[in-house]
Amino acid sequence: MSAHAATEPGHPEVYFQFEDIDQQQETYIIGMWSFLVTEIMMFGALFLIYTLYRWRYQGDFFLAHQELDWKLGGLNTLNLLISSFFVAWAVHFAQRNKRKEQLMCLGVTLVCAALFLVIKYFEYSSKIEHGLYPNSYMWHYAGPASPDAARLFYSLYFVMTGLHGVHVVVGMIIITTLMILIATKNRVITDYVPTEMVGLYWHFVDLVWIFLYPLFYLIPK
Amino acid sequence: MDHAEKDKHHIIDEGHSHHIIPSGKLVMTLVYLVILMGLTILAAQIPALLPGLDPFLQESTGGRWLMNLIAIGIAVTKAVLVISIFMGVKYGTKLIKLYALGGFVWFLLLAITLVDYFSRPWEPVQGWEGVPSSSFQRDKRSTDSTDPEGQIPSRVPSVEESGHGGH
Repeated sequence: MSAHAATEPGHPEVYFQFEDIDQQQETYIIGMWSFLVTEIMMFGALFLIYTLYRWRYQGDFFLAHQELDWKLGGLNTLNLLISSFFVAWAVHFAQRNKRKEQLMCLGVTLVCAALFLVIKYFEYSSKIEHGLYPNSYMWHYAGPASPDAARLFYSLYFVMTGLHGVHVVVGMIIITTLMILIATKNRVITDYVPTEMVGLYWHFVDLVWIFLYPLFYLIPK
Repeated sequence: MDHAEKDKHHIIDEGHSHHIIPSGKLVMTLVYLVILMGLTILAAQIPALLPGLDPFLQESTGGRWLMNLIAIGIAVTKAVLVISIFMGVKYGTKLIKLYALGGFVWFLLLAITLVDYFSRPWEPVQGWEGVPSSSFQRDKRSTDSTDPEGQIPSRVPSVEESGHGGH
């Protein structure tokens, strides 16, 4: 392998510290997984907090969660599952060196992500209207749960889904960047690995939501 | 340059090979995920749909642990599907599998924290009341939502119980 390898897709350069291209690609994927493990740690702690408080206030959490619309949440879940599929499909096309299909799939993923944020906006705005957000001065909860448990529930709701929303926004930025790099045939993209790494991040975002949805929206009676 | 045609599963290109997941498999995985999502929603409606199950769901028989178990089980199944197929871990090297597994093993370790809270009703232990770290004075019943002591027992011991050394 020469030091100045060809920049056409399918012939990536193997850097000197790697034995072969397989090891190099595996290393990039491991690197991304290392980052995802730190994300698991971050969200994991939040899930633990949620578990503890829900254990303590089971009934109140059920009553408080009734203000949330499970249909909108379900729509969002469907949204993210579909976006996950399209990003996996984009990786598939990247591995087969099909640029146009890859860009189309990434574009659909972006649209799904934007739709997710739009639905989230509606959900948040309805909650904020009633003053049901953390540290609210106009706390106006008129439901059956005890107000303190409801306050706790909505604090957790906003922190966890908000952090997840921030991850969605960051994911959108990353996907857009990737699309631009692919579309302009930038030298940085030499094979499918960057797409795979972005895909891994997006799947993680989907994974978190898969757990968030039943925990917040589908609390059994 | 017909490696795209040669086979959909392996590209042998200058000694480098990787597994390409066929589109059909990706679509089927999506279908399974959507079905599981429908199941989750259905499962959450069960207590309302089948009132006959109510005896199993009372606090005395452990509360709603069965419903929660079902919900978590379905969520874990979806997670396994996403991780193994969408993220390609199933077709990855063992090192990748190790990292993927490692993250979630860590989360299980974090869940060991629950042992602390689970065992709180068992305090204080008879004969050990004098030892500072192993028993609490539980003379206040905290049934209201504000919990000034910051304790989170899984079962609030009543005023009469606290003198008998736990469960």
